[in-house]
Amino acid sequence: MIPVELYIGLAAVIFAIGLFGFMTQRNGVRMLMCVELMLNSANINLVAFSSYHGNLTGQVFTLYVIALAAAEAAIGFAILMSIFRMKDMIDLDKINVLRW
Amino acid sequence: MAIGDYAFLIPLLPALAFVLTFFLGKKLPNGGAIIPIVAIATSFVISLLITLGLLQNPEQVINQSVSWFAMLNLGILVDPLAAVMLTMVSFVSLLIHIYSTGYMSHDRAQYRYFAETSLFTASMLSLIISDNILQLFISWELVGLCSYLLIGFWYQKPAAASAAKKAFLTTRIGDVMFLAGIVVLFADLFRLYNGAIPDGIFILKFDEIFSQIPQLAAMSTPVLGFQVNHLTLITLLFFGGAVGKSGQFPLHVWLPDAMEGPTTVSALIHAATMVTAGVYLVARTFPMFIAAPDSLMVVAYLGAFTAIFAATMGIVMNDLKRVLAYSTISQLGYMMLGLGVGAAIGAEAVGISIFHLINHAFFKALLFLCAGSVIHAVGTHDMRQLGGVAKVMPITAATMIIAALALAGIGIPGTSIGFSGFISKDAIIEAAYLFGENGGGWFPYVLSIAAALLTSIYIFRLIFMTFFGKPRTAYGGHESPASMTIPLSILALFALAFGALTTERFNKFVSETFVNNFVHMDIPGLAELGGYHLAAHAGHEPLIILWLPVIVGVAGLLIAYLVYGMRIVNMDKLVSRNNPVYKLLYNRYYQNAILTNFLSIKVVYEGLAFAGRAVDRGFDWIVDWIGNISLDAGDALRQFQTGVVQNYAMIVITGVSLLVILIAVVREVL
Amino acid sequence: MLNKQFTIMQIITSVYRFFRPRIVGMVIALLFLAIVLVSVIGTSWPAIDQLPQNLDDQSNIKGIGLLIFTEFVVPFELLSIVLLSAMVGAIYIAKGEAGR
Repeated sequence: MIPVELYIGLAAVIFAIGLFGFMTQRNGVRMLMCVELMLNSANINLVAFSSYHGNLTGQVFTLYVIALAAAEAAIGFAILMSIFRMKDMIDLDKINVLRW
Repeated sequence: MAIGDYAFLIPLLPALAFVLTFFLGKKLPNGGAIIPIVAIATSFVISLLITLGLLQNPEQVINQSVSWFAMLNLGILVDPLAAVMLTMVSFVSLLIHIYSTGYMSHDRAQYRYFAETSLFTASMLSLIISDNILQLFISWELVGLCSYLLIGFWYQKPAAASAAKKAFLTTRIGDVMFLAGIVVLFADLFRLYNGAIPDGIFILKFDEIFSQIPQLAAMSTPVLGFQVNHLTLITLLFFGGAVGKSGQFPLHVWLPDAMEGPTTVSALIHAATMVTAGVYLVARTFPMFIAAPDSLMVVAYLGAFTAIFAATMGIVMNDLKRVLAYSTISQLGYMMLGLGVGAAIGAEAVGISIFHLINHAFFKALLFLCAGSVIHAVGTHDMRQLGGVAKVMPITAATMIIAALALAGIGIPGTSIGFSGFISKDAIIEAAYLFGENGGGWFPYVLSIAAALLTSIYIFRLIFMTFFGKPRTAYGGHESPASMTIPLSILALFALAFGALTTERFNKFVSETFVNNFVHMDIPGLAELGGYHLAAHAGHEPLIILWLPVIVGVAGLLIAYLVYGMRIVNMDKLVSRNNPVYKLLYNRYYQNAILTNFLSIKVVYEGLAFAGRAVDRGFDWIVDWIGNISLDAGDALRQFQTGVVQNYAMIVITGVSLLVILIAVVREVL
Repeated sequence: MLNKQFTIMQIITSVYRFFRPRIVGMVIALLFLAIVLVSVIGTSWPAIDQLPQNLDDQSNIKGIGLLIFTEFVVPFELLSIVLLSAMVGAIYIAKGEAGR
């Protein structure tokens, strides 16, 4: 039987990758992908704990989180599209009209 | 119900009249003068009945008080001292209100005038009737306010507005001292009770204060190497308040300027009533003064000095009202001297001083009202333009001459025949002689005799210049209406006879305020405490001492007659810019130059301006510095606000990580 | 040999080129990962020893479905509304001015 630490470790690694991507990428689409990555690492944790507790609630909420992630991604991409239409690029660090 | 149960109405009715007149007066004829007149007449009747009752039975002192808050109370106290003052104030105020209906008839703001005078009367009566020092102080401030309002009644005139300000600010110096005295007194009494004051004891009530006098006298604090007796400190601070209110040197400068107000106001406030509040305060707290070392000496010397100082200036003034103003200051000096000689004659000093106060109120109000009558009819108050007014205004002239004789103190010594001023002023001068004989120094006596001479000269100078001789300029004129002459006649009657009729009774009555009445003070014992040696008062002064005041009074009359009536001396030579003495007097000892131009402008204004500029710059620098620091900090810190989400995320994650590490380390270490 | 060495050098160089501007992000991500892993390892997980196994039906979809439609039906409905509105919003944003 696989110890639960490995699942959590996997989730942590995925989260760190997502974090790294989120912090370093400038491209909006990539950043959104990295956010999805972090969200999914949380899902892994949820499923792992759910299984190891013998309780299905965590898996139910994983489904909900996936749905929410879909909503978030939809909105995110829509915003990115309108940004792209305005500025012809999606480098988020250049989007600073509201700064200062 | 006894009449004493209505004593609270005495100050309350004029206060009510103030409200009514202020709001309804505009719609009533004569500015609603009838309201205050009725109210004050009622107050007068009540006070008169109370006074008569007290004369019958001096034990029946009225003292009612209610708890206000904590250890303070509100209350009324009518003992002989307060009773005679109440009667005098309400009486004079009543007459002046009646007179004002004639005098102020041409003024459009009559209702305001009557509202303010009735507020003043209410405050003054409440000052007299209060049974604790705090209530007295509140009323004290109220009369100061009314004085300010009434001096500046014609606020359209710049001189009146600035005179009002001057009066307010100058008396404020005294008021602050008075307040400081109350604070010190309160703190000391609080300490005597060790901070635990039993219920039902109001520590600022006069009888409570008086009962603590021996303990207060025992307290002292070293100040600049001197042991300062607390009682001396308190009484001198009180006296400072009295100096401000009663126009004693050096805070007298506001009183002559206060003549910018209507003449009736000058008569009511700046001659008869408010300026005597200071004398009343000293008289009211006399047991404290007599138990305080050196205090009475200060009172006596300053009083005598003020008496002569003001009299010298009164001689050279050409303005009717200013002469009277200096005369008032001088007479107030006499009253203070009368209290100060209590160092030699004990509680009797209160009697003679208050007696002079009452007599002075009558004849000085009369003088002012006569002057007002002249001014009203003739339209000028420069004596150099007057002359021969007696022919036009016989009643005014007659009453004014009676008042002048009273002020000069003409009478026959050894008997009680004489004008009211004679009886009381003579008593004060005799007491000053006793004071000198008793080792207090001859300075007050000599000054008071000299001031008596000068008093006689300046008042008859006024009489001769105004009423006799040929008119110097063409002026129209007519006798004043009955509403003005009737009060004049009544006051003249009092100036003529009040002193002679009441002298024996009065002095005993008032002097016993502190002995056989409400409080039973052991005055000789307290005098021991204050280090004063009381002399046995017996009429064994040399004959010359008895006659001297009258002699100088008559001499003054003759000098004035010769110089101003007969014109045997060419005054033009004397009255010129080249005569240094005249110049000094006419410029009022350069007080104006010294106090206004030098002290206020050079020292206070420029000092304040300099300090203000320094402070301003300091603050300016600090404010600039704070602003710049904020801006710089903002400039530096906003670099962190890149607006790039990744950087924020990075910082958040770093922060969280470091926090976790920190917690782990801290938990390891602990 | 040369070729192989060159390739390794190339890889190292490209890795270096990739990470050089991202070195801070990487350090932070690794720090975070290390912290999470250390705390995962340092924690004793109260997990069951044996996963519940139903040999007849290894799937837990039935359980999840039951939970969704019984216990968690309210969040489910809410989520459906959120998802729907997110979709509408996303379409609206992405369509932009041109569609009008």
